Amino acid sequence: MSVPDYMQCAEDHQTLLVVVQPIGIVPEESFFRIYKRISAVSQVNVRDSQRVLYIRYRHHYPPENNEWGDFQTHRKVVGLITITDCSSAKDWPQTFEKFHLQKEMYGSTLYDSRLFVFGLQGEIAEQPRTDVAFYPSYDECETVEKRIEDFIESLFIVLESKRLDRATDKSGDKIPLLCVPFEKKDFVGLDTDSRHYKKRCQGRMRKHVGDLCLQAGMLQDSLVHYHMAVELLRSVNDFLWLGAALEGLCSASVIYHYPGGTGGKVGSRRAQGGSLSAEAGNRHRPGALTSNGINADTSAEIGRAKNCLSPEDIIDKYKEAISYYGKYKNAGVIELEACVKAVRVLAIQKRSMEASEFLQNAVYINLRQLSEEEKIQRYSILSELYERIGFHRKSAFFKRIAAMQCAAPSIPEPGWRACYKLLLETLPGYSLSLDPKDFSKGTHRGWAAVQMRLLHELVYASRRMGNPALCVRHLSFLLQTMLDFLSDQEKKDVTQSLESYTAKCPGTMEFITLPDGLKLPPVPFTKLPIVRSVKLLNLPTSLRPHKMKSLLGQNVSTKSPFIYSPIIAHSRGEERNKKIDFQWVQGDVCEVQLMVYNPMPFELRVENMGLLTTGVEFESLPAALSLPAESGLYPVTLVGVPQTTGQITVNGYHTSVFGVFSDCLLDNLPGVKTNGCTVEVIPALPRLQISTSLPRSAHTLQPSSGDEISTNVSVQLYNGETQQLIIKLENIGTEPLEKLEVTAKTVNTKEKLYGDFLSWKLEDTLSQFPLKPGKIATFTVNIKVKLDFSCQENLLQDLSDDGISVSGLPLSSPFRQVVKPRVETKPINPQESSKVGDFSHVKTLEAILNFKYSGGPGHVEGYYRNLSLGLHVEVEPSVFFTRVSTLPATSTRQCHLLLDVFNSTEHELTISARNNEDLILHAGECQRMAIQVDKFNFESFPESPTDGTQFANAKQLEEERQQAKGLEINSKLDICWKIISFHEYFVEGVLNQLVLEHLQLAPLQWGEFLIRLVQRLWNVECSIPTTCMPVTSFRKSPQFIRK
Amino acid sequence: MVKIAYFDSSNSLGESTVMASAVTYTAEWPVLVSIIFSPPQNYPLYIRSVPTENELKFHYTVHTSLDVVDEKISAMGKALVDQRELYLGLLYPTEDYKVYGYVTNSKVKFVMVVDSSNTALRDNEIRSMFRKLHNSYTDIMCNPFYNPGDRIHSR
Repeated sequence: MSVPDYMQCAEDHQTLLVVVQPIGIVPEESFFRIYKRISAVSQVNVRDSQRVLYIRYRHHYPPENNEWGDFQTHRKVVGLITITDCSSAKDWPQTFEKFHLQKEMYGSTLYDSRLFVFGLQGEIAEQPRTDVAFYPSYDECETVEKRIEDFIESLFIVLESKRLDRATDKSGDKIPLLCVPFEKKDFVGLDTDSRHYKKRCQGRMRKHVGDLCLQAGMLQDSLVHYHMAVELLRSVNDFLWLGAALEGLCSASVIYHYPGGTGGKVGSRRAQGGSLSAEAGNRHRPGALTSNGINADTSAEIGRAKNCLSPEDIIDKYKEAISYYGKYKNAGVIELEACVKAVRVLAIQKRSMEASEFLQNAVYINLRQLSEEEKIQRYSILSELYERIGFHRKSAFFKRIAAMQCAAPSIPEPGWRACYKLLLETLPGYSLSLDPKDFSKGTHRGWAAVQMRLLHELVYASRRMGNPALCVRHLSFLLQTMLDFLSDQEKKDVTQSLESYTAKCPGTMEFITLPDGLKLPPVPFTKLPIVRSVKLLNLPTSLRPHKMKSLLGQNVSTKSPFIYSPIIAHSRGEERNKKIDFQWVQGDVCEVQLMVYNPMPFELRVENMGLLTTGVEFESLPAALSLPAESGLYPVTLVGVPQTTGQITVNGYHTSVFGVFSDCLLDNLPGVKTNGCTVEVIPALPRLQISTSLPRSAHTLQPSSGDEISTNVSVQLYNGETQQLIIKLENIGTEPLEKLEVTAKTVNTKEKLYGDFLSWKLEDTLSQFPLKPGKIATFTVNIKVKLDFSCQENLLQDLSDDGISVSGLPLSSPFRQVVKPRVETKPINPQESSKVGDFSHVKTLEAILNFKYSGGPGHVEGYYRNLSLGLHVEVEPSVFFTRVSTLPATSTRQCHLLLDVFNSTEHELTISARNNEDLILHAGECQRMAIQVDKFNFESFPESPTDGTQFANAKQLEEERQQAKGLEINSKLDICWKIISFHEYFVEGVLNQLVLEHLQLAPLQWGEFLIRLVQRLWNVECSIPTTCMPVTSFRKSPQFIRK
Repeated sequence: MVKIAYFDSSNSLGESTVMASAVTYTAEWPVLVSIIFSPPQNYPLYIRSVPTENELKFHYTVHTSLDVVDEKISAMGKALVDQRELYLGLLYPTEDYKVYGYVTNSKVKFVMVVDSSNTALRDNEIRSMFRKLHNSYTDIMCNPFYNPGDRIHSR
């Protein structure tokens, strides 16, 4: 007895063992088809009795196990069914011969046998024989079941006769000693007449009869016999057989208590008719009526209560039996099987702790050297039993050992496939699933150290199986889920092997389906690199689309009839959480910024990183990046171009790391911050690029409104100078440019500006529209700088110094030009030197030119783009008018205007005025010039139409009037300057005009006082013609100025 | 002597020491001490084994012993829950080792593996060692810088 049957359970004690075997050449498929049909007949109700026979079929049974048939009769092969394929009558004798040979193998124990012949037809087949059945083919054998039932009935008859033969207590006859194979030699020469020996024989026979009764379906009788056997054998210390008797007792009790069986196989025991269930139902009511009338086996009812063991006693008796078996080394298989049976019973009783003790014992039972296959079988069954008692971890442990055994180095052809399959079965025991989603949330589940080990083994097994895709999948899973537990060295090793595998078979995002139907979900590397935040970026300012105001208004009005509703506002607020308030434009490159970090202790190369989107056709432009070891947060910008319009949602990103392609969805990423992933894509708009004739400026404007300037240009001009700025507008987009609006905004207006700083004519440019893609249009802007030409500070300082001011008012002839440069440009004077510093002060003017443009489908939708050009103008001072005064001229209609002019440039320049000759000023020189001008009356100016009618506008009106007066003065004076040494054109008329205007505006800037002063000068001249008066008034005027 | 300590960002706030029953027993080490987080995660918070070679073997031993712990807890669930003894006693003996278990009321498990041949460690000693281990664990949990579920680091 060397081969344990791990599948045994307590009910098997009541079965008759029938071996079904093929002889000759029988196709395996056909054999098993017939075998299946035969084994379906596992319960037979024997005619004219209520007893049920149970049959256990085996297609393979080692003859040495058969030798233990006397010990436990269910181990005895009582029936043999052979199946053979015989096509011609000629082969028949030979086949029949083989059948007899086969019978001899189990000959000593066989009650009966049958031969099923398939394929033979004709004469021989027509002979009626009881032990041979002929069938024309495997498909035409309807009577197989019937045949089997007949066969079993014949078995029953033999069994019944044996039982009756041995049950009757023939005290006179000598009872033979039953013994197990290894005992035979021990009894040689033993005194067969001793009481001890007789008792032993009696006990063993009782036990044997008990077995037969159990097999014959007489449960209660068997219990009685077993009890008697136990008593007899206990008295003679025949431990092996005592154990067997106890086990028989247990088996019978188990069969009684658990009619559903302990094997756990649903299909194996057909709940047949009423007998079982009826018995189960009325077992607590002895003598009750069954559906068949009074229970025939009344004797059973009486002894039932005391003979049958209680569930607790079953376990005690099993323990006892096993301890007796344990005394015999040769009964190891019996002990092992008893343990297994007891565990099955305990599993039903849900007494896991005790079951585990039995199993623990079973582990230590040392059988002879097991073959590898037997070891695998043993570990598997241990695992199965642990599983049954709810010890999932222990079960996984043994299953894993079984798996390792499949691929043990001692095996010449390791069964990696079987190993892999068993390993997969251990996964639940280690609370491991192959779905990475289970590990993405919360803390880690299960024992990482052992899980890692198992994953490594899976990787190895799948590799040896020759399935690289599977191997890559498992390795990726290991890396993804166990990253926190891998040491630095392990991380390196794992990634290295992963890379070497992916070189042959890249990792994909496909499900891998195993032959047994298990699906392995893809493993996206969400931790390589770890993404901390995802932010959709707005387009650069110059490309940002803006909605036309009017259309926007419409939109709002259609949304809701209410101006304000708290409910709507609330829902909008929620929407805003997901939706972003800017838009992307079809056909333009859009960006998403990810903050990533590399948890690996080495440089991580991420290739083919791109965005995953839905909603809009999106052309993702993949990026490759290389993250330094254990980097901190690292910004990565992923770009793409939306090809259609609508709502686009960024779902995630895809990467390729170590040759494994991953699609990482943001929903599955823990701890990712995002500002919303849905953005609207509006139709395409043209793109405008501007280039100018001026050099670019490093100086960037900081506009207040927050919009950025795309280009900055700078220019350096003297005060009063004009320059032309030529702007080239190029449509670099794909849509035609249809609309263009230009606006200018001056920023940084500390300096008071006079006149138009920037002026242009848009019509010329618009005539070139619509601008086709790639075409260039030009646009010209005139820059005029007109700042204050007066020297305010200087004047104020002068006022504090009376002496100078007085000396500055010489009463001399009107044409006299006071030429005293040495005096005027007093560099010695500390006051003056500070003045000079003021003169040289460079002032800056800044303006922004806004180009609003639109075209293509985006224009239809009401969007435009805004491009800003920053203009930085450095204004160098040119001339200053340090002092203004008048002298009466010879004619009363005229007077002389005296101006002290200071040249703050480094060049020689000339000043000219109307009807006057040019005055040449050297660098840093100050001279007085006198201009003869006609007097005129300001009152004669046309009053502005709104004059006097609007009181509220009085101040504005006043300003307008002053401006008009200033212009008038300007046109009269027409003062201009030019630098002689400079480029000729530079000093041309345009310039003159500028200067002219400046001069006139200068008084304005001095404030009311100065305006008044000048006005008064003229007015006095005009209204009071007397010659003596002007002098006094002139004398007063500077004082006015001073205040 | 088994030491369990924990750190905060700046300084070690506290350190608790588990003495194996008494100073006299310092020579008698448990082979392995393990603290296992409460279900459903059931992962080790702390593992310390004295023979560091072949540590995985002990991992398997402790891991499979959790089956027995589960079984014992569920069996006890039927009995008095409030009054139950935290000490589970011998979980199971293997050929060379004995595995003892202890479960706190919050189902945090302590498992100790002891050399079978070590006769100095009897039930009472094991019990008091567990009690001290439990006290240290309580101290760790009191540390505001410790996140329940994080691995425990020992100095």
